[in-house]
Amino acid sequence: MPEINLELISRVEQFYFREARILDNRQFNQWLTLLTEDIRYTIPSRHVPQPDLQKKETEAFLSVEQELSQGLETPYRDEDFLILSIRAMRAFKSNSWTDSPPARTRRFVSNIEVLASEQPGCFEVFSNLMVSYSRHQQDNFFYTAQRKDLIKPEEESFKIAKREVILDWNVITAPSLSIFF
Amino acid sequence: MSIPMDFSQWVSDDGSHIHRRIFTDPALYELEKQHIFAKTWVYMGHESQIEKSGDFITSYIAETPVIVSRAGDQSIHVSINSCSHRGVPVCRADQGNTRRFVCPYHNWTFNNKGDLVSIPQERKVCNKPDKSQLGLKKVPRVESYKGLIFACMDEQVESLTDYLGDMTWYLDCLFDRFEGGVEILGSPHKWLINCNWKLPVENHLGDVGHGPYLHGSLLQGTPAVTELEQFGHNVVPKPGHGLSVRLMPDGTPAEQCMLGMDGLAGMDPEVNAYLQESHKKVSARLGEVRSRLKPLCYSVYPNLSFLWPNMTLRTSHPRGPGQTEFWSWFVIEKDAPAHIKEKLRMNYTMMFGPGGLLEGEDSEAWSEQYKGSNIDFTDDRTFYYGLGQGEAGPHPEMPGSVGSCFDEHYAREFYLQWRQRLEQGVNHHA
Ligand code: FES
Ligand SMILES: [Fe+2]
Repeated sequence: MPEINLELISRVEQFYFREARILDNRQFNQWLTLLTEDIRYTIPSRHVPQPDLQKKETEAFLSVEQELSQGLETPYRDEDFLILSIRAMRAFKSNSWTDSPPARTRRFVSNIEVLASEQPGCFEVFSNLMVSYSRHQQDNFFYTAQRKDLIKPEEESFKIAKREVILDWNVITAPSLSIFF
Repeated sequence: MSIPMDFSQWVSDDGSHIHRRIFTDPALYELEKQHIFAKTWVYMGHESQIEKSGDFITSYIAETPVIVSRAGDQSIHVSINSCSHRGVPVCRADQGNTRRFVCPYHNWTFNNKGDLVSIPQERKVCNKPDKSQLGLKKVPRVESYKGLIFACMDEQVESLTDYLGDMTWYLDCLFDRFEGGVEILGSPHKWLINCNWKLPVENHLGDVGHGPYLHGSLLQGTPAVTELEQFGHNVVPKPGHGLSVRLMPDGTPAEQCMLGMDGLAGMDPEVNAYLQESHKKVSARLGEVRSRLKPLCYSVYPNLSFLWPNMTLRTSHPRGPGQTEFWSWFVIEKDAPAHIKEKLRMNYTMMFGPGGLLEGEDSEAWSEQYKGSNIDFTDDRTFYYGLGQGEAGPHPEMPGSVGSCFDEHYAREFYLQWRQRLEQGVNHHA
């Protein structure tokens, strides 16, 4: 198992900062090169369940998991490389009305935590994400999310093999979850 | 703005001219809640969401929150989610299972029929409040059609089947297609759109005219567009309701008539085999004509919609004239194998729901429509709804009034219904 030391953590951080810059600069084709071709990209949906009284007085009573779509319940997004590529390429078309004129986005990535993974040579990475999204004149929104990634070392850098995005809303107060988180 | 009694300035007599203010005026909005949402059948949810006794979901009638619950005797109840004591909502979850709704403030407790069962403070006071009069306010009428639960605040309303009229012939294409029925998996996807609630409804009533253009980056030049222009019809099964379908000609191969076939999921061999297999049973259940029918979009007056290729039900909950809380669900054959359910839902999540590509474009157009309506100096410039005026008529194979795929009669009829309801309501109260 590769050692998780400060040098590795710093390289992972740099990778995430670069990813954020690429997305904010709308270089979506470059972003695709940061993904493995078998990537699974998911955003579970979230709701307020009835509290499970069997679990009261334990941490399970408040677990985030029970608020997220599981198994066959419909997530917000569940995508592979093909769908992500369609999204990326579409943005560059002149009649892609949600991206033309494009949104002004700014991503802030923090709370990066690098953990060993069961997948040999890979790492699990938690990070928090805040995105400022501004369109047209004054359509301004903020997204906050946790990301749970599986990253794979590749040459000098990494590739994202899996990403799960946990959003922090019940009713979504932004017009779309179509952006890359 | 004061509301003149003459409603023809809002919607012209033939429905071809619509005033911008009907999308933005706060006074008209209040009238809509009073005379439309309190008088018509409003969609609450699907029976598969509350199968067991004690199951409940929450929903809305316009801005009023309700609890839809299944009682111990299997009956379905719709109650307004506001405590009889001081009004605090007694249910704070989106869905779940419970025998009791306990109000957080003073713990008055209600059962899943909405009846008040206990007042904790009662034992220390002399008077005995009559609990039978202090239940949650009930929505008096609740009826289902093929699993779709509707409720109405007006006790006198016609039966749900009469209300739906010939819309049922088209609803059956999905809701009666499978022996075991359909189901909804998970809680609704909910998001805010800065648009008037009528725009999403109008869109799903039959506005396929925007498809190749607003959605040009995805749909332009695809076979779906050619097929629409060749075989598409806009149908008004009953004024107020509307839909758009493709009726494939006799002898069309089954693969071109199947459910949910306009998305990527159908390219998966397993999904394709499932769709072919399930299509074989359609004509025995629904008849030969409906085995060639490929619906696109539906709206049931006032605010329920459905998209066939992406298998999604949706409701447009008003939040003031300029905001809508849009809810959307994926619907699937209940007896379909688990891996098919998981694969087929891609047609929904990729294109619709808050993360969907087509949905994002629709939401954008609807909120831009609000911006363009909510301006001054244009009251003399009504919106033109006259495309295809006078064309629609009966059809040999399908019920309702049938027009070409770009005929806007669905919208003219919807807004004429809107006008009639408000006109009647206002004049009745005057
Ligand atoms: S407000 Fe509900 S118990 Fe008092
Ligand atoms: Fe659309």
